Amino acid sequence: MDQITLQRVLPAVFRGSESEPPVSSSEIWLRESLTFYRPDTYIIEAESGTGKSSLCSFIYGARTDYDGAILFDGTDIRTFTIDRWCELRRTTLAYLPQEMRLFPELTVMENIEVKNSLTRFRTRAEILAMLGRLELAAKADTPARLLSVGQQQRAAIVRALCQPFSFLLIDEPVSHLDARNNAAVATLIAEEASRQEAAVIATSVGNKISLPTFTLLHL
Amino acid sequence: MISPLSRLLRANISAPQLAGYAAANLVGLVIILVAIQFYRDVSSVYSGADTFMSDDFMVISKPVSLTSSAGFTPAEIAGISAQPWAAGVGRFETARFNVAASVDMGGRGMSSQLFLESIPEEFLDVRPGGWGYTPGEEVPVIVSKDYLTLYNFGFASSHGLPQLSEELIGMVPLRLSLSGNGRQQWVDARIVGFSRRLNTIAVPEEFMTWANSRFSEQPASDPSRLIIRLDRPGSPEAEKYVSEAGYEVAGDKTASSRAAYFLTLLTGIIIAIGAVISALAFIILVLSIYLLLQKNRARLTDLMSLGYTPRRLAGRYIRLIAVINLAVTCLAILALWGASAEWRDPLSTLGVSPTPLFPTIFISLIIMSLLTLSTSIIISRSIRASFRR
Repeated sequence: MDQITLQRVLPAVFRGSESEPPVSSSEIWLRESLTFYRPDTYIIEAESGTGKSSLCSFIYGARTDYDGAILFDGTDIRTFTIDRWCELRRTTLAYLPQEMRLFPELTVMENIEVKNSLTRFRTRAEILAMLGRLELAAKADTPARLLSVGQQQRAAIVRALCQPFSFLLIDEPVSHLDARNNAAVATLIAEEASRQEAAVIATSVGNKISLPTFTLLHL
Repeated sequence: MISPLSRLLRANISAPQLAGYAAANLVGLVIILVAIQFYRDVSSVYSGADTFMSDDFMVISKPVSLTSSAGFTPAEIAGISAQPWAAGVGRFETARFNVAASVDMGGRGMSSQLFLESIPEEFLDVRPGGWGYTPGEEVPVIVSKDYLTLYNFGFASSHGLPQLSEELIGMVPLRLSLSGNGRQQWVDARIVGFSRRLNTIAVPEEFMTWANSRFSEQPASDPSRLIIRLDRPGSPEAEKYVSEAGYEVAGDKTASSRAAYFLTLLTGIIIAIGAVISALAFIILVLSIYLLLQKNRARLTDLMSLGYTPRRLAGRYIRLIAVINLAVTCLAILALWGASAEWRDPLSTLGVSPTPLFPTIFISLIIMSLLTLSTSIIISRSIRASFRR
């Protein structure tokens, strides 16, 4: 997959307030046509309540309460079946949800295995190496519920990277990370994206992920 | 080592609920299966191929009274033959001469006065080879099965005599003394078959015509009994016509068909009870599954968000239900086998061979497959519905 195109997309909650901020000032909502190209990097900056998590959910197929159309390589994603979505989520589209959605009763390693056993994309050693780079190796066998929010965020990033992808969708990846961890995460993501020649779409409320080059869009 | 995925999906599975479902469904299924098998075994008494109870034949006679003649006039016979439900009418021909039979059993002779009747061959329920008669040959005889039963279970056991099989009786030579019209003659005879339909001692029509013409002093009279083949079993038009004309339907046919009716009714009620229990068990299962999938909904959504297909997730639960249902089916079949063994012996003493268990087992497999299939559909649909929050 090489392009994601948004055509006059507007969350259903903003229906009727098209001429008011934040819709009127948005560089994304209601744009005639906006395309994200592979392998470019985009950072979408937004204030809270402007619908950036909604945007990620729309693109990931998790929500459909929007007007307009979202196209993957020219095909309207509303036509995709559940099975097609599941396949995309294993092979093409990687996603870090803002609320991480780790399984609290499983350890960090088990949480990652649930994904990796489906894709068989990484060896255990590779996973441990990624956890090590994000200073989580010691927490591999700790239940996710005992982790701090920042630690959960890094564990979820490693899990998101356990699959092949053309587009990586990361919703506020560094909101709870300090500068050092932000840099570590950014390096890991940039490395993986360039290795897979993938596009990265990251959102941020204030704390931007320190990726080297990117297109900045205001929501 | 249980995989993390299994641990996620197993959460909230309620063992007591599943056990309750399994137990209730087992009870329901056993009731259904035992009722079906008992019905099939017992109804073979009523619906065997050679039985008198098969509904497609009817033997009628006129009520005996002081004033009216007990025979059917040619006009009455023609009237019955003209009815659309009468596929064939046969007359019972009576011997109008004296008959005595004697048996020679190793030197001990036994002799008895007898009566003989004949009906056209097409109305016989047993078709022994060599039915027919040419003068000078042995006369084949068909006897009502009731007589043999009466002897074996009534007479023989109370007098300390051996019980006789059909084959053994067929080997005993009989001698018939025919007399009348100033003549007397011995003929050889042999019992060649036992009938459940005919409550009489039947000989071939050819023999009866020959013997009546030779030994009878009276002219031929109207037949007192008629056998009618119906166009379909238990034809209500036939019953209506017969009762309106004041004829009597012979034998215990009505009684036994009433018994068969009650058997069917009773079986129906018992199967319905079993079905209700199974249906309630199924509802318990469905509610329990809804509850389980509802509790696990967030987990299922998250797993599909990681790329797990609904099919793969549903498969885990369907496999669990299938294993439980298979165990229930096996136990129910075992119970059916045990229960049917209880009535197998008493039935075979009555001369009824029990029907094979296989068709009933097949029914249980169909019921449980349908239950498993509907459960699978419910699980799949419910999980697909959790795809989006």
